[in-house]
Amino acid sequence: MTEIAASRCPRCQAVVAPPATYCPWHPVAMTPTTVPGVGEIVSFTTLHSAPEGFRSPLHIAIVELEGGARFVCHGDETRGLRIGSSVAIEAIDDVYYFSHLGALERARLFWRRAGHAGDRVNAIARSLAKRVLNRGTRAS
Amino acid sequence: MRPGKLGGSMPNVYIAGAGMTRVGRRSEPLQELMADAAHGALAEAGIEQPGMVVVAAMNPEEFLGDGNFASNVATYLGLADVPAIRVETATSSGAAAFYAAFAQVAAGLYDSVLVVGGEKMTHLATPKVSEIIGRSIDPYERSYGATMPALAGLITRALLARKLVTLREIAQVAVKNHANAALNPYAHFQQPVTPEEVMESRMVAEPLRLLHCCPISDGAAALVLRAQRTAVRVAGVGQGTDTLAVRHRDSLTSFKANRAAARAAFEMAGFGPERIDFAELHDAFAPFELISLEDLGLVPPGKAGRVTLDGETARDGRLPINPSGGLKARGHPLAATGIAQLVECVWQLTGRVGARQVPGRVALAHSIGGLATNNWVTLLEAV
Repeated sequence: MTEIAASRCPRCQAVVAPPATYCPWHPVAMTPTTVPGVGEIVSFTTLHSAPEGFRSPLHIAIVELEGGARFVCHGDETRGLRIGSSVAIEAIDDVYYFSHLGALERARLFWRRAGHAGDRVNAIARSLAKRVLNRGTRAS
Repeated sequence: MRPGKLGGSMPNVYIAGAGMTRVGRRSEPLQELMADAAHGALAEAGIEQPGMVVVAAMNPEEFLGDGNFASNVATYLGLADVPAIRVETATSSGAAAFYAAFAQVAAGLYDSVLVVGGEKMTHLATPKVSEIIGRSIDPYERSYGATMPALAGLITRALLARKLVTLREIAQVAVKNHANAALNPYAHFQQPVTPEEVMESRMVAEPLRLLHCCPISDGAAALVLRAQRTAVRVAGVGQGTDTLAVRHRDSLTSFKANRAAARAAFEMAGFGPERIDFAELHDAFAPFELISLEDLGLVPPGKAGRVTLDGETARDGRLPINPSGGLKARGHPLAATGIAQLVECVWQLTGRVGARQVPGRVALAHSIGGLATNNWVTLLEAV
C-alpha cells in the first residue's frame, strides 16, 4: 500500500498531507508522519476545460485518508464513483491518483488489516454493508 | 470575541458618495475606469481631495503589467499628493479596501477617505484569466489542476449529494439574478435566462455548468467615507478567514469564513440578521448564494433552495437577494466587486435605482475572497 508523506501538529494533532512546515491553525512546527494511501471520496469533479498543462476531461477528487488528512488527487475515471466510495491512492511519477476499489481489492485490504479470523469476517461484512449503504448519500 | 480583538463602541462612519462604471467588456484602460468611478463618488461627496485613497486591485501586475498600483492610480486620478495604499485579499479585495477606509475614518485618522477598486481582464484569453485568478488557490491543489470552477464543482457535488439543494434550485439563482440585471444599466448581462437554458448549458466542472458561473468582466467602483453624517451609516464590518487549502476543511457545504464574518459584523452592529431588508451576496458560482444565505443566518439551515424557488429572494420577495444582478449577471470585475455591491446598497437605500428598487433600511453586502479564505460582511443602514 502506498504510504503518503504527511505532518502532524503536536498541539492539536491535526494531520495534513502533503507535509507542511507549520500547522495551519497553530504557529508551531509540525512533526513528519505518514498515512496509508486508502480513504473515502469526500467529493469529486470532472473539469471539461482543464487549465494549461492538463488534458480534459480532468478528474479531481478530495479523499479523506484513513490517517485523518484530506488529500487532493487525480483519477483515471469516475464511472460508478460516489461520495463515500472507498479508494486506494497510488503515486505515478510523483503524481497521486485514486482508484475505485473493487470488492476483491476491498476484501484483500481488510484481510491485511484485520487481526484474526473473526475480525476478518466481520471486516469483510462491514465493508460489504458499507458498500450497500454508500449507494445512498453521505455527509461530506 | 477573538483573542487580541478589542470591543468597545465604534465612532459613526458614513457614506458620502458612490460611483461605478458599467460592468462588461470595456476598451478603456483600468486607470480610466477607476477615475470614472472615483470622480463620480468624490463629486457626489462634494470633495476634491480626500484625506486618503485606498486602492483595491487583485492582479494588476498579471493582467496589465502594472505595479506600485496605489501610486499608479492616485497619480492618474490627480491625487498624487494624497496618501494612498493598496489592499488585496483576492476576490474580496474591494470589501477589504472598504474596511481599511472605514477603519481610518473610525479611528479618527482621516475625515474623508476615497476607496476605489477595479479590474480589467477581458483583453486576455479565458484560460489565461482562469490561470491568473487560480493563483489565489493553494499551490498543491493548483498543481492538480484545481481552478476556481473545479473547487466550486467539488462543493456543488457535496451539496447535491447531501440533498441540501437541487439542480433546479441552483438554476433559479441564475434565473433570478439575470432577471434583476436586465433592469440594471450597469450590468454585464442585460438578458434573462430560463431554468432550462441554465440546466442545459455547457458542463464546466461537473456538476457545475457555464450558466452557474459568473462572467469575466471589466469595471470599477468607488465610495467616499466620511465622519460627517449623511443618509447612509456603516453599521458593521466583519471579516472571516479559513485555510488557503480547501482540503483542510471539515465541511465543503458551509464556509467557516462566512460564518465568522457575519458574526463579527453583526456583533459590531449590535443587531442580528433579522434586521436585514435586502442583500448583495457573492454568487461567483450560483450555489454559493445558497450556501451564504444559510451561513449568514439570513434563512434557516436547509431552507435556502426552497426560499429561492418560492421567490422569497426575488426582487418582489420578502428578502431580495442581489437586486443588482449579483456577480452572476452584473458581472465580477474582481476587486471592483466588493465595492460595487456596496454602491448598489447605497443607491438602493437612497432610492436611486429606478425599476429595480427594493424597499428597506438595512442592507448587507457579502464578499468571498479566494475559495472562501478571506470573506467580508458589511452592513449599511439608512439614517
